[in-house]
Amino acid sequence: MRNNVGKYAATIAWPSLVTALILVAWELSVRALGIRSIILPPPSAVFETMAQRHDLLFAHLWPSLYLTVLGFVLSVIGGIVVAVLITYSAIVRKGFYPVIVVSQVIPKISIAPLFIVWFGTGTMSSLLLAFLVAFFPMTINAAMGFESIDEDIHRMARTFMGSRWQIFWKIRMPNALPYIFGGMKISITLAIIGVIVSEFVASQEGIGYLIKLAGGLLDTPLMLAAIVALSISGLALYAIIAAAESWAVYWQPPPEAVGVGGG
Amino acid sequence: MRSAVASPPPGLAPGRARDDGAAIVRIAALKKTFGDLEAIRQMSFDVADGEFLSVLGPSGCGKSTLLMMIAGLIDPTAGEIRIQDAKVAGPRREVGVVFQSPVLLPWRTVLQNVLFPIELLKLPRAQYRRRAMDLLRMAKIDEYAGLLPRQLSGGMRQRVAVCRALVHDPSILLMDEPFSALDAITRDEMAVELQRIWQVNRKTVIFVTHSIREAAFLSDRVVVMGRRPATIIDELAIDLPRPRHIAVTEDQTFNRLVRHLRKAIEASHAE
Repeated sequence: MRNNVGKYAATIAWPSLVTALILVAWELSVRALGIRSIILPPPSAVFETMAQRHDLLFAHLWPSLYLTVLGFVLSVIGGIVVAVLITYSAIVRKGFYPVIVVSQVIPKISIAPLFIVWFGTGTMSSLLLAFLVAFFPMTINAAMGFESIDEDIHRMARTFMGSRWQIFWKIRMPNALPYIFGGMKISITLAIIGVIVSEFVASQEGIGYLIKLAGGLLDTPLMLAAIVALSISGLALYAIIAAAESWAVYWQPPPEAVGVGGG
Repeated sequence: MRSAVASPPPGLAPGRARDDGAAIVRIAALKKTFGDLEAIRQMSFDVADGEFLSVLGPSGCGKSTLLMMIAGLIDPTAGEIRIQDAKVAGPRREVGVVFQSPVLLPWRTVLQNVLFPIELLKLPRAQYRRRAMDLLRMAKIDEYAGLLPRQLSGGMRQRVAVCRALVHDPSILLMDEPFSALDAITRDEMAVELQRIWQVNRKTVIFVTHSIREAAFLSDRVVVMGRRPATIIDELAIDLPRPRHIAVTEDQTFNRLVRHLRKAIEASHAE
């Protein structure tokens, strides 16, 4: 147990140390070289802006996070439903699944302006873009989870006269859980990107809008403050999913390294 | 090529279904082909109620296919299998199966795994919980009831699989090389344990194996399958007294039986 704690502390300590070193180097070099704040403010100025203008940051952060989470939840539900169809319907598996896979060559972000044309500059466009980018990894991961059943387990359930319904709920679903969480970790990061890009293109609120606005005003400290706030929020959402995973997928030994901030 | 097989050792009756108890499983003119591949050419035998029967044969001879057909998971190409006079057309309640690997569900505890058939068969869970605990106790793994499969050794997991196969009180237990993945020492131990469990429960057991010693040690009767396309090439009753201890394997009579079975298999290879 103690050894585990030590290991965990080590995985946290080293990256923290490196981060601190980078921040110090940044702070010192900006001061020493006399770089103007418009080009690159020192970290201290960024944190100061965050503290001073937290009302403004939060006011724009909440709508973005709300849309991110909503788009993410919809993509999880949609992805699982489509994965079930892929698993059980030959028509969906053979006809639609390849189309869904091939359609992924379209950089979905490039559709953002089209969504603005169709759904206006409001929240609808952001939500749909978040859903669209987050949906695919959810679908593939869940479908893989439902299908990667050991043939012997399937046979075993059949010898005990398990119905399709029972096999789905008692075997396929728990079996797919680790895959579903894997998909969720990718989807949440993509959902954030979807919302921000949509806000870049056209909107009147949201953290993406604030970043763009600050850029236009050459308020670089505010821009960086918004980026940092967004990153911290993204990390928090990811951590929530990782925590839910280790609770729900209790039967798998915890991974060696705690991989926070992937995707 | 039956003529090539040595006659049974002196003092032992030639193999046939035990007279006490009617046949519970009847296999008649069974044939199985997979496309062009003829797996089982022709096979007929009966299994008596309460009998421990081993099906012995070389790897890939179709023993597992035979067992899967008895379990109702694969349909025969021709011929039929009857269990308690009903033709097998799919999985049946009175059958429990132990597979080569334990196939436990990793997210369920030992006890929950054992109760899995009860859930699938929609039997009263509370009532069978006691039976499950009794079975675990009999298999000497009751103290691990709350553990997950990954916390157990290979031998323990296979014990759980045996308990699971017995939990709904089937009259027939089908075992498909259940100990083949275990090390030699654990294997011997499991054979002794299985015999003990069988003597308590008195199920009909059809035990598929490629281990001659295992077949001879455990069985009332051994049927020997030849190479593909398989037929039954020999049949031998094992009239050693029970309970048998592992020391019986050093016995003269036991070794005569083993030699006899080995010759039967070698004869099929020579064909």
